Amino acid sequence: MKRKLQAAAVLLIFGVLKMPLEQRVTHDLRTMHLVDEPLHLGVKGNMGQMGLAAAFGGLRGLIATVFQLRAHVEFTRVNWAQVDKYYGFVTQLQPRNARYWEEASWHMAYNAASYYLYNKELKPALRGQLFHEYVQRGTTILNEGLALMPDNPRLWQKLGDLHWNRSKDFKASGDAYLSSFQHGGLNFTERFAGFAYAQANDPDSWTKGYAILKKLYDEKKATPGLIEFLKMLEQNLHIPAAQRIPDAGPVRRATDPQAGPLRQ
Amino acid sequence: MSEATQSSAAVNVAPVRFSPRRVWTLAYATMTQLMRMKILPFLLLFCVLVAAMGFGFSTINPEQQLSQFKTMSLGVLQVFSIVFGIVATALLLPKDLDDRTLYTILSKPVPRFDYLLGKLLGVLMLIASGLVIIDAVLSLILWLQQSMLFDAAVSQLHSEKQDTPEAVAQMREIVARQGLTWNLHWAVWAIFLKAAVVTTVALLLSCIASSTLFTIVIAFCITIIGHGHAMIREFVLQPNLSSASVRIASFLLAAICPDLAQFDVVDSVANGEVIPWTAVYEMTGIAALYMTVYLFVTHLVFVEKEL
Amino acid sequence: MSDTPAVSVNHLTKVFKGSLGKGAFRAVHDVSLTVKPGEVYGLIGPNGSGKSTTMKVILGLLNATEGDTRIFGIPSTEVASRRSVGFLPENPYFYKHLNGRETLHFYGKLCGMTGDHLKSRAEEMLALTGLEDAATRRVGGFSKGMLQRLGLAQALIHEPQLLVLDEPTAGVDPSGSRIIRDLIIEFRSRGITVLVTSHLLEQMQEVCDRVGIMAHGRMVREGRLDELIAVENQTEMVLENASPDLLAKINALVKAEGGGTRLLRSGHPRTTLERLFLEATNEPKKP
Ligand SMILES: Nc1ncnc2c1ncn2[C@@H]1O[C@H](COP(=O)(O)OP(=O)(O)OP(=O)(O)O)[C@@H](O)[C@H]1O
Ligand SMILES: [Mg+2]
Repeated sequence: MKRKLQAAAVLLIFGVLKMPLEQRVTHDLRTMHLVDEPLHLGVKGNMGQMGLAAAFGGLRGLIATVFQLRAHVEFTRVNWAQVDKYYGFVTQLQPRNARYWEEASWHMAYNAASYYLYNKELKPALRGQLFHEYVQRGTTILNEGLALMPDNPRLWQKLGDLHWNRSKDFKASGDAYLSSFQHGGLNFTERFAGFAYAQANDPDSWTKGYAILKKLYDEKKATPGLIEFLKMLEQNLHIPAAQRIPDAGPVRRATDPQAGPLRQ
Repeated sequence: MSEATQSSAAVNVAPVRFSPRRVWTLAYATMTQLMRMKILPFLLLFCVLVAAMGFGFSTINPEQQLSQFKTMSLGVLQVFSIVFGIVATALLLPKDLDDRTLYTILSKPVPRFDYLLGKLLGVLMLIASGLVIIDAVLSLILWLQQSMLFDAAVSQLHSEKQDTPEAVAQMREIVARQGLTWNLHWAVWAIFLKAAVVTTVALLLSCIASSTLFTIVIAFCITIIGHGHAMIREFVLQPNLSSASVRIASFLLAAICPDLAQFDVVDSVANGEVIPWTAVYEMTGIAALYMTVYLFVTHLVFVEKEL
Repeated sequence: MSDTPAVSVNHLTKVFKGSLGKGAFRAVHDVSLTVKPGEVYGLIGPNGSGKSTTMKVILGLLNATEGDTRIFGIPSTEVASRRSVGFLPENPYFYKHLNGRETLHFYGKLCGMTGDHLKSRAEEMLALTGLEDAATRRVGGFSKGMLQRLGLAQALIHEPQLLVLDEPTAGVDPSGSRIIRDLIIEFRSRGITVLVTSHLLEQMQEVCDRVGIMAHGRMVREGRLDELIAVENQTEMVLENASPDLLAKINALVKAEGGGTRLLRSGHPRTTLERLFLEATNEPKKP
């Protein structure tokens, strides 16, 4: 009996002492982005039992994957509202996973938007409207993701792709690419930022684009596409002839200066 | 039977000390005992399932496929190791007690602590060897998939005339990050740590009640609560939110249960997050602390237990 | 060392606590006994009289509620008291995935034995208990008698000075039981102390130096077997082929003698220990 009381006492005292430690380790792991923040209560209700299991069973990743597979099934059935809903769950369960935000946005801005754009059964005006709505939805999703991970170069890059390819908002695209590069994105995002700014409508963007492209040119990182854009900008910005780059050989006309999004 | 004879006899007697060799004997017997419970075929089945899953996913893109495969297999592995740890531990002690094997073991000069440690180590050794095997299978599959997917993606890019050096480099970067890295092993290590803590808790429960059902049910409850530990803790530490009784109850729960969410790095690993050494140290350290204290409490409960 | 009792039980009381509200149960009540080194002590008593409970307290498997028990002077609460004890519980069972030899190796290793010493000792014990043929068979397939013999081998593996045997012959066939009894007699000749319980009284009578009879948790008789069963003021005559005539004559002679002499009973003889047992334990049963 004495031992049992001792056991209970040890358990309790340890329980009290361990809490600050647990608090610290959890904090450390969260700052290292290894452990997720707890789910919000509202989210669990929407997801039903699966969500509950996810919240308490330490299986958030697994259940996010299950929702992702469900979303994929809905994708094959071209049921876009459901795809959006399931990806909503997925991104709630795994908010720190950039890939999920990216996929959710890609489904909306590319797949769903194109589906409506080329849907022969709809009136042309409606097609255009739906296209824009879904592109907007994709943009919103990426921005939500970026609100949680403002320094994720990958999401910035995807936002740049989205503005370039879908909404043709080249200024925004340039900003996004530049942000991607500034947050440690792949090298080509800097060049793409320049390309995007070059295609924007306002001289401010051109100036930015010129600065980037000229810098790259001076660093001997020019590609045929870059020279093309640089020459265009020199013209648009009325750069004095002395400062322009030399007309080096015949410039090949690049079919597409940007490799574009990896997916088709 | 005078007092003198007794004390003189007692003086000559050295106490029986902790012996690693004896613990090993008990652990090894426990491990073989569990192995005969048809655990191995189950493990093999799991490997086959994982392999099938790895190659059978519908592909949207290589990154998704690799990451999905990791999340799925690691998630299932985690469930498997925890269930195994709890059920095996819950079965072992009552079985020894029912079979009176415990009588023959403890009537030898075997300290009860050695017995407990042997049982725990036996279960943990089996979980560890299962995880090592599955880790090897997973690594192999990931490695195979990684090169397969990379080649497939590059040839697709090529056929689309988009195989610019940048695109290929990005693809390589993505596949490498999602493919086989050390992080996978650290994730498996975290799974082991979590299972080990849960197993120790199950051993404690088993000593309190020596009822299989009780141990299994309560251990699962503690596992579930343990995953929401951070929430309970934050609730307790918040000032004046609810009634005193609710706060005391939450406080007790938080004090008794271990925080298992600390070992939930599996998802991050599946996302391609890198696990730094500090995280490994912290997780290992806190798991060791939990296990030491829970084992000590188990010993206190078990040392005077009526058999 | 020789005057330190092998086993001493001092005013042992064991109460099992009832679960939640139900009454406690007193299984052993103020029992004292002493087993001297080298003797064979038999503990007998009806089912549920507390024999196994007493043994478990002696071996430290149960805690004494009151009183204390010692083995070679060391309190049973200390692990060291079990250094030199071999215990055969009632209906023993072992890890069924091991075979006979592995089981003995397992228990030997628990006692700190290693290497060739352990191996040769295990073979010796298998031979001693007649289990050579079963050495490679899994314990899961052992018969009751084989388990009992394996239990004995296991108890002996580390050459203990004290053997505690709870119903060693239960479920063993007559020849096996004979072997076990012969073994006990041999242990005594080697100076090993034995504490044994059994229901088979003839067998106990054959091997025990001293017996204690327990009933309802109390020790009702204790002493040297020959003293206990010798009833000083009675004489027993066992006749063979006696005619009814002769018996009638004897009867008449007894009557004629008068005084305190009486013929208490006549009939076919019984084992004396059994009679003693029945007398001693035939008290009104408490609920
Ligand atoms: N763990 C326990 N909890 C409660 N009661 C018990 C426990 N173990 C034994 N008893 C009770 O104590 C009494 C004595 O039991 P014990 O096993 O010592 O008898 P025994 O003399 O060995 O009988 P048998 O000859 O049948 O083996 C019995 O009435 C039994 O029901
Ligand atoms: Mg008994």
